Amino acid sequence: MRNIWKAAKLDGSLVKPYARVICFTMLLPIAFAAINRSLPTGVSFAMCFIAMTTGYPFSVTEKNGMERLYGILPVRKWELVTGRYLFVLALGALALTVSLIAQPLVLRAMGETVTAADLGGAAVGGLFLFALYTVFQIPGYYKYGSIKGRVFLYIPVAGFLATLLLLPKMPAGNPLVAAIAGSPVLLVALVTALVVGMYAVSICCSIRIMQSKEL
Amino acid sequence: MKLILSNVSGIPIYEQIKRQVKAAILSGELKEEEALPSLRTLAKDLKISVLTVTRAYTELEQEGFVRNVQGRGCFVLGSSSELMREQLIRKVEASLAEAIKAARIANLSREELQQLFDLLLEVNTDD
Amino acid sequence: MTDYLEVKNLSKSFGRFRLCDISFTLPKGYIMGLIGPNGSGKTTTIKLILNMLARDSGEIRILGLDNIADEQKAKAALGVVFDTNYFSEDWQVAQVEQAISVFYPGWDSKRFAGLLQTFQIAPARKVKELSKGMQMKLMLACAFSYDAKLLILDEPTSGLDPVSRDELLQILSEYIEDGEHSVLFSTHITADLERAADYITYLSYGELFFSGSKDEFVDLFRIVKGGTEELSADLRAKAVRVRTFPTGFEALVKTEDTGAFSALSIEPATIDEILVFTSRKGEDYA
Repeated sequence: MRNIWKAAKLDGSLVKPYARVICFTMLLPIAFAAINRSLPTGVSFAMCFIAMTTGYPFSVTEKNGMERLYGILPVRKWELVTGRYLFVLALGALALTVSLIAQPLVLRAMGETVTAADLGGAAVGGLFLFALYTVFQIPGYYKYGSIKGRVFLYIPVAGFLATLLLLPKMPAGNPLVAAIAGSPVLLVALVTALVVGMYAVSICCSIRIMQSKEL
Repeated sequence: MKLILSNVSGIPIYEQIKRQVKAAILSGELKEEEALPSLRTLAKDLKISVLTVTRAYTELEQEGFVRNVQGRGCFVLGSSSELMREQLIRKVEASLAEAIKAARIANLSREELQQLFDLLLEVNTDD
Repeated sequence: MTDYLEVKNLSKSFGRFRLCDISFTLPKGYIMGLIGPNGSGKTTTIKLILNMLARDSGEIRILGLDNIADEQKAKAALGVVFDTNYFSEDWQVAQVEQAISVFYPGWDSKRFAGLLQTFQIAPARKVKELSKGMQMKLMLACAFSYDAKLLILDEPTSGLDPVSRDELLQILSEYIEDGEHSVLFSTHITADLERAADYITYLSYGELFFSGSKDEFVDLFRIVKGGTEELSADLRAKAVRVRTFPTGFEALVKTEDTGAFSALSIEPATIDEILVFTSRKGEDYA
């Protein structure tokens, strides 16, 4: 467990030079929220943007030939992989937190009302979207590297557009959807289970890719 | 004691070390019970392999010049040791042979050579 | 435990390359040179030791520990220097310490600071601002700061100037002086090994040609030289390889076979000469 934490910290020091870009990435969605006068839009943007930075630790690694450093550190490959997920998740959580604090403040200052339910909904939605993007991105980067796999940078964009298109078409009349939407507990439970499940599968895939990879 | 190694002499490095240590012992520069430089330090200082120095020291021990004490180092045996004495006698013989060769070239008679030898012996006991 | 590195019957093939049944042992307290022409499997062997490549068969022990079953423990005692730096270029030297020291329980910050001073590396410098020689020293400083018992260097001297190469050899001989550390050093610049290496492991196109003490290795062969008319059929038959030119010839001959040719000029062979004369690619060299 400690090694996973160390690996995540190492990723942190990898992207340190990009701290400014990442800060900007976290703050920019506030403007989108303000323009659209909508918290869900702002949070969706925020999660899409932050997911686009998932490739940073991969590209720094690749640029500097640091897979050799990973090869000599006294940690197991699965710990390195899990550490990277932890780091990516931490970055996502930070972006979500920033969005959920800053965006309502701005929106309220503009005279919009933001209820606790809105906040909760945005939090669950944001988490789900972020998970949806990154569970595909990370194994992709592991498999193809950040240069050949740069197409994975756009998964969040594609995902974002897809949600924009699909959301209005949700069959609101479907009793199952209505039941889930009607019960916050059920919604949170379902999203949590989905997110955990997706990450578990994704981590397993990444570990397998990493272990079969010859550095 | 000084050790100077040559890369171009064609003589193996361990042999060069052996010869120079022997010379230092025979000339009395290295005294009985005196320690040779530590094996690993010497290797580091001369930038040569530890095994090369090990070989030189081991062979010096086999030839009766030094004694390896596990963990403490390598010590010069006294010139009283039998092998050392043999080496010294061989050295005397070689030097005398050299002198005789030179005497023949110079056409010195046996008596003249003996006189010279006695004279030198006396001179040398003075100091 | 007296052997710091044991490689037994190691094999690995990928693509057209085959590393075949390699075995060698590096005892505690010595420097071993891993030599061979490019493409002989030096780097492959090192990557297999580090478990960066998966071996097909064989066994590898680092300080008595299996390199896969006890990978973490083994690597905590292992220092590695590659031909190029493996830290992020944008890190400052001090950040390098921050980033990697957490992985090593025995990390000694004071020692790291002392080494930086000895190597004249300013902690505020960025890795990319350091010369190649400095980057190598930084990797060494890291390995020494957690007191790595076994140091593995993969072509560390390629692209280094003679001054840095000499400094490296100096550092390595100081490192093994206490008899508690060992070095495995792959290189094709054999001059580096001519003096300082205790052992030589010579790989030739994926096969083990020799592994043993360097003095023994150098003593295996002699160079016999002579005029063209002195090149007898007997000599041709006994020579490992002969190189002829208009005014004479040079041949690499096993030392035990040189007795018959005492009339000719017989010289000790350098590691380089042995490599050149014995490598299969040298076929068209004659």
